[in-house]
Amino acid sequence: MRSIRASSSRLARGLVLGLGLATAGCSKELPAPIPTAHPGDPVPRHGGMLTSATFGEIRALDPANMGDGLVPQILQSLFAGLIDYDLEGKIVPDLAERWTVSEDGTTFRFVLREGVRFHDGDEVTADDVKRSVERALHPSAPNPFSSYFASLAGYDRFVAKKSDHLDGVTVNGRYVVTFQLDKPDSSFLPVLAMHPMRPVCKSGGDRYVDTWLPCGAGPFKLLPGGWDRGREITVVRHEGYFRPGLPYLDAVRMVFHANLTSQRFNFATGEQDLLRDFLAPEILKFQADPRWKPYGEYELDKQVAGMSMNTEMAPFDNIELRRAVSAAIDRDKLILIRASNLRPAHVPVPPAVEGYDPTLAGQQFDLPAALEHMRRAGYRYDPVTRTGGYPKPIPYLTYAQGLDEYMVQVAMQQLARIGITLDVRIVNYSTFLALRGRRHETAFGPAFWAQDYPEAGSFLEPLFHSRSINDEDSNNSAFYANPRVDELIDRARRELDAEQRKKTYREAQVIICDEAPWAFTHYYRFYAQWHPYVHDYKPHPMWTTDPTRTWIDRTSGKIAARSIFSGDALAKLFGDGTAGRGAPRSAPP
Amino acid sequence: MPRAVVQVPAARAVSAGLRTRNRSALVGSAIVASLIAFAVLGPILSSHDPYASDFVNGISPEKLPVGPSSTFWLGTDRLFRDELSRLASGARISLFIGIAATAIATVIGGIVGIIAGWFEGRLVDAALMRVVDVGLAFPFLLLVMALAAALDHTTPVTVLLTLGLTGWLGTARIIRAKTMQLRNLDFVTAARALGQTTPAIMVRHILPNVAGPLLVVATVSVAQMILAESVLSYLGAGIAPPTPTWGHMLFEGQDYFSTSPWISLAPALAIMASVLGFNMLGEGLRDALDPRKQ
Repeated sequence: MRSIRASSSRLARGLVLGLGLATAGCSKELPAPIPTAHPGDPVPRHGGMLTSATFGEIRALDPANMGDGLVPQILQSLFAGLIDYDLEGKIVPDLAERWTVSEDGTTFRFVLREGVRFHDGDEVTADDVKRSVERALHPSAPNPFSSYFASLAGYDRFVAKKSDHLDGVTVNGRYVVTFQLDKPDSSFLPVLAMHPMRPVCKSGGDRYVDTWLPCGAGPFKLLPGGWDRGREITVVRHEGYFRPGLPYLDAVRMVFHANLTSQRFNFATGEQDLLRDFLAPEILKFQADPRWKPYGEYELDKQVAGMSMNTEMAPFDNIELRRAVSAAIDRDKLILIRASNLRPAHVPVPPAVEGYDPTLAGQQFDLPAALEHMRRAGYRYDPVTRTGGYPKPIPYLTYAQGLDEYMVQVAMQQLARIGITLDVRIVNYSTFLALRGRRHETAFGPAFWAQDYPEAGSFLEPLFHSRSINDEDSNNSAFYANPRVDELIDRARRELDAEQRKKTYREAQVIICDEAPWAFTHYYRFYAQWHPYVHDYKPHPMWTTDPTRTWIDRTSGKIAARSIFSGDALAKLFGDGTAGRGAPRSAPP
Repeated sequence: MPRAVVQVPAARAVSAGLRTRNRSALVGSAIVASLIAFAVLGPILSSHDPYASDFVNGISPEKLPVGPSSTFWLGTDRLFRDELSRLASGARISLFIGIAATAIATVIGGIVGIIAGWFEGRLVDAALMRVVDVGLAFPFLLLVMALAAALDHTTPVTVLLTLGLTGWLGTARIIRAKTMQLRNLDFVTAARALGQTTPAIMVRHILPNVAGPLLVVATVSVAQMILAESVLSYLGAGIAPPTPTWGHMLFEGQDYFSTSPWISLAPALAIMASVLGFNMLGEGLRDALDPRKQ
């Protein structure tokens, strides 16, 4: 035994030395940022192409069909809305010059700017607004957000195809359009500022078709061939954009299916101007480097994640067992597996969303309480002798090679302390989504949700309202139904007073946290990093990026204008190779 | 009379290898023995639980896994678990799957090969060989991955069955060829003349004489199985976490390669060593069994 130990020690020393050398060899410093060409000059420059990349992709590019999480940041470039969110997350006029709301909160009258042009040159009128709304809400459109507009007068008749037009939207002259609601709806303006209702060119027709070349009134436009499905998309400047002088960039390009290592390499060489998808430890390196630190920023926490417990299935039809799980999760430890992106979640509404209440304790790690809940559930567990607990492993369904694959491994350790063991089953992502949303199918698994609009209702209604329960594709993956919670969510939505609405949402969250259809685990926030030559870039609180006012000023590096179209359409559109090289400057608007 | 010509190639191979100081066999044996010792003794020698995250000592101030130290000889992984303990547990699983899957493949491949070789040119041979042809038409890893992905729930048993039930095709081909060679030799003819039944001849005379090639193929096959299991785990089609497997450890470490390379290097070296060890052992055995090199 002694000789084995001695040999082991020598082996260990050798391995330590070897791995130490390997570590030294691999821990390279970050590359230097690519500087701006004209330091200290704040005047924006026209030209250039802003390139970003993502490991995901988009399947459709239409306001009436935006099921993919990446779509909003591209639609934001292509489609202008009546109203929009600014960089502070406030609702501001966009195509509408101004609007008025009736005292009872049911009539919204918008006056459009005159002379605004679509990408095809036609003027944007009130008729286009009504046509686009009806196109997006018609049942032929695969619009996942349609129900957000259910308060519009005539909505039910329209989606039931009992009417060809939506009575709640009326045209009052070439530039005035009115939205009439059946009842007050505090979320109407926030959802109207989303993309589904944004006016589309007449080529989009009265009804949704999936063969249409996206065309709107946004700052950038899509040319034929600009979207190479599954590979990349490039949108180019809309010369007729209604804000004079904007946008500054010639084009914006996004590459799909780019693995994280490639993105990191391309960013370092300047082939990619923005970096959002990081290898986990890389964020820490960028943040710790004073050369890079000024050019990086966290996006807002807009996503909540947790472990969804199916309240209709054993064993989680036992509320005490759900409470035990939620009290056994040590969120402060859990988030350490990706400390740079995660923050502990105790309530369903993320901090950046209206309705978040920092005074609400929500679900907290409390091991004695968790053990007590196990006892009440009928599964007493003795942590000293490790006897008792839930008698069988609980099936846990998750998806391959995502963050949850790691989360669940730590959660397993934490739940083992109260006598719960998990049987982890890993499937591909689409199978996971299908099984998780199917009734009586999945007892336990990860759940997550990102905001559609920045209000608590955007989380509570789809996740915990009984109306969101479906036999297939159920957003309410816990199949949680509580009439009191339903009533509070509905009441909050009708409530026009912000403070009262917040109180109502708080009351709903208190019940949800206590009854624990989810054990909330973390909020996810992205970190964006850019080169110093990228100016006026700021993560957008709603759309991730909005490059309308971003400009670039670089003279070095590999990037200039890249031709992505046959016949070098970029060069034809914007002249010769001046694009992207600090081209002739113009005064800001 | 027939028994007099029956050889015991496996035992002879090992002794021949040692006697002739066959370098490949010796080095391969040493590596394989070390791996087995590591798999058996590693978890005993380590005081860390391979499944437990250490959020106190296993994490650096930068919230990253700690590197190799006297506490964690190989550092910690991305979930702050002891890398050495997981490597040793992974060795048990890799070796178990590699050896068990090879055993299955060897038994099936041996039986199919002997039957096909004995009945050469007849319907049973044609049928069996067409099955082998179809199976060999698929790249092995692709076939295994497709099967693993189709399985609802992957455990060590399902993985070894998947590998074992798809890994016998090449073995069958080799053993068939060897059987065809043997069935026309004098001692087989003599056994027939003495009235022995076909199954008896296969078991008593053919099997011992194909045992040598079978052993060589099996030894190399262990390396392939370990590699295949690692590939499956790396691609997420293998054994579900938190069970440590070398392939999945490799995958888990790749995001951390620039800051914590030990997470990937340790399983990578283990996979490399095990494949090298079994291949060298197989190569050594082949040389030892080759009459031209005696």
